[in-house]
Amino acid sequence: MEHEDPRNGESSHRSSKKPKISSKFILESEIRDEFSHHQPRVARINNGSFGSCPGSVLAAQRQWQLRFLRQPDTFYFNTLRNGIIASRKILKDFINADHVDEVSLVDNATTAAAIVLQQIGRSFAEGKFQKNDTVLMLHCAFQAVKKSIQAYVSRAGGSVIEVRLPFPVNSEEEIISEFKKSIEKGKSNLRKIRLAIIDHITSMPSVVIPVKELVRICRAEGIEQVFVDAAHAIGSVKVDVKEVGADFYVSNLHKWFFCPPSVAFLYCKKSNISSDVHHPVVSHEYGNGLPIESSWIGTRDYSSQLVVPAVLEFVNLFEGGIDGIMKRNHDEVVKMGNMLAESWGTNLGSPPEMCAAMIMVGLPSRLSLNNEDDAARLRSHLRDCYEVEVPIFYQVSKDGEEGVRDKDGFITGYVRISHQVYNTLEDYEKLRDAINRLVEDGKTCKMLCIE
Amino acid sequence: MEHEDPRNGESTHRSSKKPKISSKFISEPEIRDEFSHHQPHVARINNGSFGSCPGSVLAAQRQWQLQFLRQPDAFYFNTLRKGITASWKIIMDLINADHVDEVSLVDNVTTAAAIVLQQIGRSFAEGKFQKNDTVLMLHCVFQAVKKSIQAYVTRAGGSVIEVRLPFPVNSEEEIISELKKSIEKGKSNGRKIRLAIIDHITSMPSVVFRAEGIEQVLVDAAHSIGSVKVDVKEVGADFYVSNLHKWFFCPPSVAFLYCKKTNLSSALHHPVVSHEYGNGLHIESAWIGTRDYSSQLVVPAVLEFVNRFEGGIDGIMKRNHDEVVKMGKMLAESWGTNLGSPPKMCAGMMMVGLPSRLCLNSDEDAVRLRSHLRDCYEVEVPIFYQVLKDGEEGVRDKDGFITGYARISHQVYNTMEDYEKFRDAINQLVEDGKTCKILWIE
Repeated sequence: MEHEDPRNGESSHRSSKKPKISSKFILESEIRDEFSHHQPRVARINNGSFGSCPGSVLAAQRQWQLRFLRQPDTFYFNTLRNGIIASRKILKDFINADHVDEVSLVDNATTAAAIVLQQIGRSFAEGKFQKNDTVLMLHCAFQAVKKSIQAYVSRAGGSVIEVRLPFPVNSEEEIISEFKKSIEKGKSNLRKIRLAIIDHITSMPSVVIPVKELVRICRAEGIEQVFVDAAHAIGSVKVDVKEVGADFYVSNLHKWFFCPPSVAFLYCKKSNISSDVHHPVVSHEYGNGLPIESSWIGTRDYSSQLVVPAVLEFVNLFEGGIDGIMKRNHDEVVKMGNMLAESWGTNLGSPPEMCAAMIMVGLPSRLSLNNEDDAARLRSHLRDCYEVEVPIFYQVSKDGEEGVRDKDGFITGYVRISHQVYNTLEDYEKLRDAINRLVEDGKTCKMLCIE
Repeated sequence: MEHEDPRNGESTHRSSKKPKISSKFISEPEIRDEFSHHQPHVARINNGSFGSCPGSVLAAQRQWQLQFLRQPDAFYFNTLRKGITASWKIIMDLINADHVDEVSLVDNVTTAAAIVLQQIGRSFAEGKFQKNDTVLMLHCVFQAVKKSIQAYVTRAGGSVIEVRLPFPVNSEEEIISELKKSIEKGKSNGRKIRLAIIDHITSMPSVVFRAEGIEQVLVDAAHSIGSVKVDVKEVGADFYVSNLHKWFFCPPSVAFLYCKKTNLSSALHHPVVSHEYGNGLHIESAWIGTRDYSSQLVVPAVLEFVNRFEGGIDGIMKRNHDEVVKMGKMLAESWGTNLGSPPKMCAGMMMVGLPSRLCLNSDEDAVRLRSHLRDCYEVEVPIFYQVLKDGEEGVRDKDGFITGYARISHQVYNTMEDYEKFRDAINQLVEDGKTCKILWIE
């Protein structure tokens, strides 16, 4: 095969990190093809929960899987470690970390939370922390993180402060002010706050948090360790771990960064603490540093950690690469959010600048969404009867707080819509029409039939 | 499609647990086809390390993966739990457990060890155990388990007793005698032995351990399922774990951790905590965040596969055993060496002594020989360096002491040629006067 001479014109070499400069970007029909394994006719507007992975990356993953199956010993001794290092190097540059050994690959943010919290738990058990030293978290922290705190902190004698952020929210200042107030309250009993866990993009309700400012506040208040749970961040907002300044920062690569299920990176700033974090599944690599420990936790399928180079090739098929994708996802989801809110006569949960590729849209009060079961019921009904997949959030009104109203009553439910490259206008129109239909038919959540 | 009427003759329905009674068993070419993704020309006699998975099970796995990718929310809410429950039930029957909630599916034995040892570590940290209470383990235990003991037991203040089992070994009595000695040591100075970690070969009925005052027994049976009969009630241990991807044809990776229903079993947790925390280990393990659970879902497809063989999994186990013994003897005879254990103490793997003239005198020599066999002879087989115990008389061949062993495996895809290739490679090295230190590797 004739060697590609760059003087002959555009090189077809695609593994460069820079977006293609040619005018040939991926076509709509090619995008549809890449996601042709998605269930047809379903309005899949929940990229936030489980993410998505294009066909070309799935094909790359299969190649890695076959290589292991072909000759696993050779793969283990000669191939695996280099493949993981290649992925870590790409991510280190992407997130602006200083050293590649600050970057570990784990299954998901849930695993990363266990890693960070186990370390806190050990400090309690070994007497480094005193009983009732505190961990601070957001009230809307992901349920797995809350349970992890229970398992590793509460059980070991630590106490927990929950910061309740306002929602709907109108500005970053509201978040910052509420956060400051909670820290004051937490310190009032002279307890030491050993760790703060802050979301970069909260899950439910979803809002982009001014995380850099919150981390700065934590440091100013003498909070020792800060862990940013940025499960949704990479591929939906810019990620600069040095700018954020946290001790630990985790994001899932399978949500918005096109990796197959599942893989996340956990960034650990080099410090005394970072040498004492360990993967809970202990292998012969124990003690060699978290990145090395995480790269071998027994025989398993590591292929999702190995396809990061293939993902880069994929995003660089798009105009502007991942930056272009992020911008377009943001613009579209805001546009769609406004379209829905206008059609339903409701509101957005946050201003556009506080959302990335997801936005919360108020549901008509006439649906009478009054508890978690109603939300689950509506979600199932939309899935089963309208072929719409979208998560629903029930907004408890705080005592004494005035809720947001539409023309018929208080807005107590929100949809969290996502936009990813495979979404089309029809997806959101389908949701719009389904809700309008239910309202027209006088349906409330409690009466909805589900399979 | 016309509904199959069983009166019309042999049903083609394959998901029955019983082996087919027809004479149409899987043929040799079909077996080759099922493993056609294996690298050709390689004598792959190391099934024990990473296992193997037939094409039809891989295809079933791909279907599960596609189902998730197609509509992950529907999969999560409507499909995943049912699929895992089906796998639990099959395994529960296979291992003779009483309840399906005694069966948890985890990634591998390494993970299961961390689960059991974390529970021990918590007991130390929370004062249930006293400093220097003991965990007993075999000297030859898997390195990951040793490290796990370091991370969760030693770090929390517990101490460790290593039982050095004789090797080569000639009888079960030798093992039991060594174990009893170590148990005495472990209980000296008023210490309590809180946990004993043993493997399947040494797993005499746990009632013996309890009689000696050991509270918990974990059987690390990584290789067992699909290579020996597994009856967890008969073994009687508190915890019993085995990898399904080694000898039970599952894709990488999945293992079951059996936890006998006791007060203890409710104290176990998966270290990756999800919203299922507190709902029981088997439920916790069934959801540890978004990931690919497909290897846990193909157990029914594996059953279909093994039932295409005469005698089903029992037939496979017996033939693997008979063949590996035959091949082991063939090699030992050709090399003038020995077997590491009597045939009745091995299952689908066998240790065969290497000629002393290879001068295998360290772990590095063993690694070198293994790499050389892989790179230059296309033979994949793990090699072990056997340290001679002080004062112990080693086993000799005609030229010196035997210090190296090969661990050969036999699985359904292996052929005579694989072992002949290995036999000839070693004979060639000896003929050429090569020693491990001078072997060339890439």
